[in-house]
Amino acid sequence: MTIFTRKTKTAYVLNAVLAAVAVITLVWLSVLRLGITFDFRFIGDFSKRIGLGFRMTVEISICSLVLSLAAGILAAVLQSGKILFLKYLASVYIQFIRGTPLIMQIYLFFYIIGTAWGIENRILSGILILSAFEGAYIAEIIRAGFANIEKTQLEAARAVGFTRYQTVRLVILPQMIAGTLPPLVGQFSSLIKDSSLLSMIAVIELTQTMREISALNFRLFECYFFLGILYLALTLPLSFIGKQLEKRYAFEY
Amino acid sequence: MNVSIKRTAAFCAVMVYAGCIVSCTRRNGITASDAEVKEPLTVVMELAYPPFETKDADGNPTGISVDFARAFGTYIGRDIRIVDTQWDGLIPSLQTGRADMIISSMTITAARSKVVDFSVPYANSLLGILANRESCITKAEDLNRKGMKIAVKSGSTGFIFATENMTHADIITLADESACVTEVVQGKADGFFYDQLTVYRNWQAHQNTTTAIFVPFQKKENWGVAVRKGDTQLLEQVNRFIADFQSGGGFDRLTEKYLSEEKKAFDKFGFKWFFDLS
Repeated sequence: MTIFTRKTKTAYVLNAVLAAVAVITLVWLSVLRLGITFDFRFIGDFSKRIGLGFRMTVEISICSLVLSLAAGILAAVLQSGKILFLKYLASVYIQFIRGTPLIMQIYLFFYIIGTAWGIENRILSGILILSAFEGAYIAEIIRAGFANIEKTQLEAARAVGFTRYQTVRLVILPQMIAGTLPPLVGQFSSLIKDSSLLSMIAVIELTQTMREISALNFRLFECYFFLGILYLALTLPLSFIGKQLEKRYAFEY
Repeated sequence: MNVSIKRTAAFCAVMVYAGCIVSCTRRNGITASDAEVKEPLTVVMELAYPPFETKDADGNPTGISVDFARAFGTYIGRDIRIVDTQWDGLIPSLQTGRADMIISSMTITAARSKVVDFSVPYANSLLGILANRESCITKAEDLNRKGMKIAVKSGSTGFIFATENMTHADIITLADESACVTEVVQGKADGFFYDQLTVYRNWQAHQNTTTAIFVPFQKKENWGVAVRKGDTQLLEQVNRFIADFQSGGGFDRLTEKYLSEEKKAFDKFGFKWFFDLS
């Protein structure tokens, strides 16, 4: 049985093949039990719309990433700051957003707050909502990353006479990056997947496009299966990049 | 043989055996055997469409389609199990065998008929428009202009009609009827294509912000009961039941119970009533 635990090349290949076969067999058997057949031809007919939806998802994700990073950093800084009013505001923001489901936030912000303040454009609303949502989670990641820096580091920086700016740039940031990069990349991956919920307000991104197509051709399984593959095309490279970055920035203390 | 090879062989044998067991218990998608006649019939509907399909205060299914389904159960001597399912999931439920029938005020269309079998029509299906007051819409064609926004519910005949005919307008496809109504009320959409009854009810609820347009603008369409493709036995039973129910005044009783107000309004407007298939 050591073929399953040995670290030789043949062991790796054999086990990888076995794992792939197990998953494929499970899916194939499930489909067989239902007696249905798959027909993926619609992808060619609808390729333009799918392409547009894919592009929209990528665009929304990138815009939201930038905005949510800004929001998260701001909220983290305010929360650990000295001005109590701002500290409480940041706290309320983080607790509320982290404590409620995204679907509810989408409906609340789009139909009530968005309408009240005149934000008509769906895509803009979607980006704002998604950034606010992910920003709260990023704030927590940053807070945790900062808390992991040893207090002695900060004391040493003071002892050496660093200004605040120098402390942040030379002591805090390098040490924080290693700790926050993996969860941040994970959060970005979540962001891409959470953007699918913007279909609730009819933002024509990938999930909404697939939903509309499946409503026309009744090929629910093929549509959503293909949708899964497209999302994997976005998230798998991301997790690969994340692992590379992790290796690059990890340094021994 | 040494221990390691014996163990590997045993492991593989167990896997193959398990695989055989799993593949042998295949579920047959088509109900054909007589032995299943006495089993409960699973009917799916989207319980978000009062007064046809909705829930009572305790969360139990109630409405015209529910009573209709139960009457069918009595007619063929089987229990009826009603399962609440989202609209886009109704036909997939039938395709995969999770359900036996769809009675959800579903319009008979050519595209749907390719994947399911429909019964004879049991009601008329006519679209109306819930329009925003400030959009100055008097007929359907007014919405077919650049810059006009039309809200529709995903998969409904309003969706099908709008995507096929309203080519100049922006179509906003949403999952819930209530979201579509909210869009019109708030002015985010200029019109919402849906059935006349719901349009009427929502207009009554939002008289300050909406108007209702009932002028018929499409070919006549009907509602039908859907069964799995090839399930001819059940289909024949349904067709016989519908004829029986109609001649026995069943639909009149349902109208009296759930829709008496609306029938009076429709008579006043001069519209054909749902169940009047003449």
